[in-house]
Amino acid sequence: MFEQNCAFCHGAKATGAEGPDLLRSSIVLHDQKGELLGPFVRKGRPDKGMPAFAALTDAQLYDIAEFLHQRVEDVANRGLYQVQNVVTGNAQAGKAFFDSHCTRCHSATGDLAHVASKFDPADLQAQFLYPSRSAGFFRGGESTGPSEMATVTLPSGETINGRLKYMDDFTISIYDSSGEYHSWPRNEVKVQIKDPLAGHRELLKTYTDADMHNLLAYLVTLK
Amino acid sequence: MNVGKILLVAGLALLPAVFVGQILNPAKLGQPPTDTWPTYNGDYSGRRYSPLTQINPSSIHSLALAWMYRTQVGPQRGEPFPEIKSTPLEVNGILYFTIPDHVWAVNARTGEKLWQYDWVDHGGHLIGNRGVGMYGNWLYFLGPDGWFISLNAKDGKERWKVHVADAALQYFTTMAPLVVKNHIIVGVGGDAMDVPGYLEARDPETGALQWRWNTEPRPGEPGAETWPDKGAMEHGGGMTWLPGTYDPELNLLYWGTGNPNPVYAGQGRKGSNLWTCSIVALNPDTGKLVWYFQASPHDTHDWDNVETPVLFDGVFHGQQRKMLAQAARNGYFFVLDRTNGKDLISVPYVGANWAKGVDAKGQPIPNVAKEPKTDGALLNINAGGGTNWFPPSYDPDFGLFYVNAIDGYSLAYLTDTDAKPEGYGGSGRTLWAHSVLEAIDYQTGQIRWCHDFPARGSARSGILSTAGRLLFSGDPSGNLIAWNPGSGDILWHFHLPAAVSNGPMTYELDGNQYLVVGAGDTLYAFQLLH
Repeated sequence: MFEQNCAFCHGAKATGAEGPDLLRSSIVLHDQKGELLGPFVRKGRPDKGMPAFAALTDAQLYDIAEFLHQRVEDVANRGLYQVQNVVTGNAQAGKAFFDSHCTRCHSATGDLAHVASKFDPADLQAQFLYPSRSAGFFRGGESTGPSEMATVTLPSGETINGRLKYMDDFTISIYDSSGEYHSWPRNEVKVQIKDPLAGHRELLKTYTDADMHNLLAYLVTLK
Repeated sequence: MNVGKILLVAGLALLPAVFVGQILNPAKLGQPPTDTWPTYNGDYSGRRYSPLTQINPSSIHSLALAWMYRTQVGPQRGEPFPEIKSTPLEVNGILYFTIPDHVWAVNARTGEKLWQYDWVDHGGHLIGNRGVGMYGNWLYFLGPDGWFISLNAKDGKERWKVHVADAALQYFTTMAPLVVKNHIIVGVGGDAMDVPGYLEARDPETGALQWRWNTEPRPGEPGAETWPDKGAMEHGGGMTWLPGTYDPELNLLYWGTGNPNPVYAGQGRKGSNLWTCSIVALNPDTGKLVWYFQASPHDTHDWDNVETPVLFDGVFHGQQRKMLAQAARNGYFFVLDRTNGKDLISVPYVGANWAKGVDAKGQPIPNVAKEPKTDGALLNINAGGGTNWFPPSYDPDFGLFYVNAIDGYSLAYLTDTDAKPEGYGGSGRTLWAHSVLEAIDYQTGQIRWCHDFPARGSARSGILSTAGRLLFSGDPSGNLIAWNPGSGDILWHFHLPAAVSNGPMTYELDGNQYLVVGAGDTLYAFQLLH
């Protein structure tokens, strides 16, 4: 309905052409279900060059109003925005970067085999830059992501290793390899943390945007 | 002479006789906060520095929970866990605080509830509410849907309400109104549909408009040359959603303005886009612009520049100065001469590779290569910026500015490539973010000390400094912490069930100093054990 009757003046996306931008129209934004828009469109604004659309039925006017409200939602709700094509780099240059920077921890035929089939390109871009601890980027898509590992040295000199559960300035808690929970005040123990993502944080400091685009272009080939 | 004394003298000079016997003596607005905390920031300076000393490094080990008050409103629209982001006012032993749609008055000594005011909104975002303003016996509150509401402080009854922003156009309202003389200053928010920003002064008795300052110039006015056309100017954003500060001696109101619109897509608004992303000085009686400093010319990264413009006096490179300092969301720490807006310091306090450096006026120069791209631009700052709305503090005893900062990396995407984009037009995606508390030397912009929080996540807590030589704030995992403001050593902590979600505040009643913080849906008060 909109395309047939309105788009010629207001543009196919309703953002205005010869006629005004309807997504910024006060009438559209105040309208709920055609109650303001319907009478307005039927009458037109002959003084400003908009003809009357007297023949449109209530149902047709409702459809036009719904279309415009959807367009407003598309624009106003950033949760609906789609990232466009992010694969713009050079895959060969990306492979060279991968071979020189990533292979100490990763392998294109091992942990990262088929990684491109697990994520769409935009998510893959974010994941290789800094993997989410729950997204399964590592180890072939296991549900648990890379955990920080803690080595805690007690006053007696005994050391306990485990997966870090919680740490603030005052308390640390871990699960050891048998799944047992332990917690200590920070000021009574020595703590060493080994974070598998530390290398990713170091790389974030050095990437050029070209490195990032090239590396993605290579990783999307790992279907 | 410190700014507190200046504000005190100026405040007394303005005291009209008619206020005697009213709940809030207006002279209190200009005084350092002791028995009264009468504004969002405690006083006009925005320093969030209390002269109280009872709680200090020697006594703090007996600081204990005195009472708590749970708001218990349950999930709100779009907000499953509403948080107290407001800083309570404390006047005559009563605390006044808010979450969106609700105002409470509780006994500041016990947490006993006096009254609750509930607003039924018709739209607007419930992302937060910063609190109320107070003038004599009256409170001022903003509903999320653009209603400016006056309440009787005695019983919470509504006196009147006026509409200051149209929620159907996607404005929403969250700020704590600021009372300056007989002006109630009200700002607005809303980035979704490219509406223009403004700041208003309203009459305390009727809510009638006194003046409106538009964030964008109109065609033909000075500043219009920084926009390509009338349409871009009329849809240019620049919201005014956090309370500003005020210097009674200079009679200047200082305010931060938000990002231009469309937020991430700048191709339809070439130019520096005045007066978005700026610090402006306005005459509070007329709303006329006196000077401006633009923190992010032609912003394309959502760098709302609304963070508190903090006022203090002191020596700068050997010369006594009236200064204004801001830790901006764009990652820069600025110090300006607040008499004229001239830049003294512009130094990044976190990564800021969106800028190529600063120009002769001290304003950052945007790096076109790091503007949002369809395939992403990698930024060395997180998508929410180096800090955000949570209030910073300035401690005159140490000459240090404190900010809860967020280190990080993010991707900036352009999603609307149209020559005339609309809405946000793009997005930011945080890759990694990490909270640090920084103490910044205002004379150099150098970080004197930095506390690196071991916990994951972001600390979104405000900061309070006191003459008791303590600095209070929260960490990302729910600890309320007191630091030595000079060294950054931790002196005390208390673990709360949620992270501190507002700016801590303090007051003294009956010889007892109270420390009050909001964390999640609950207000917690601490005092020394006897």
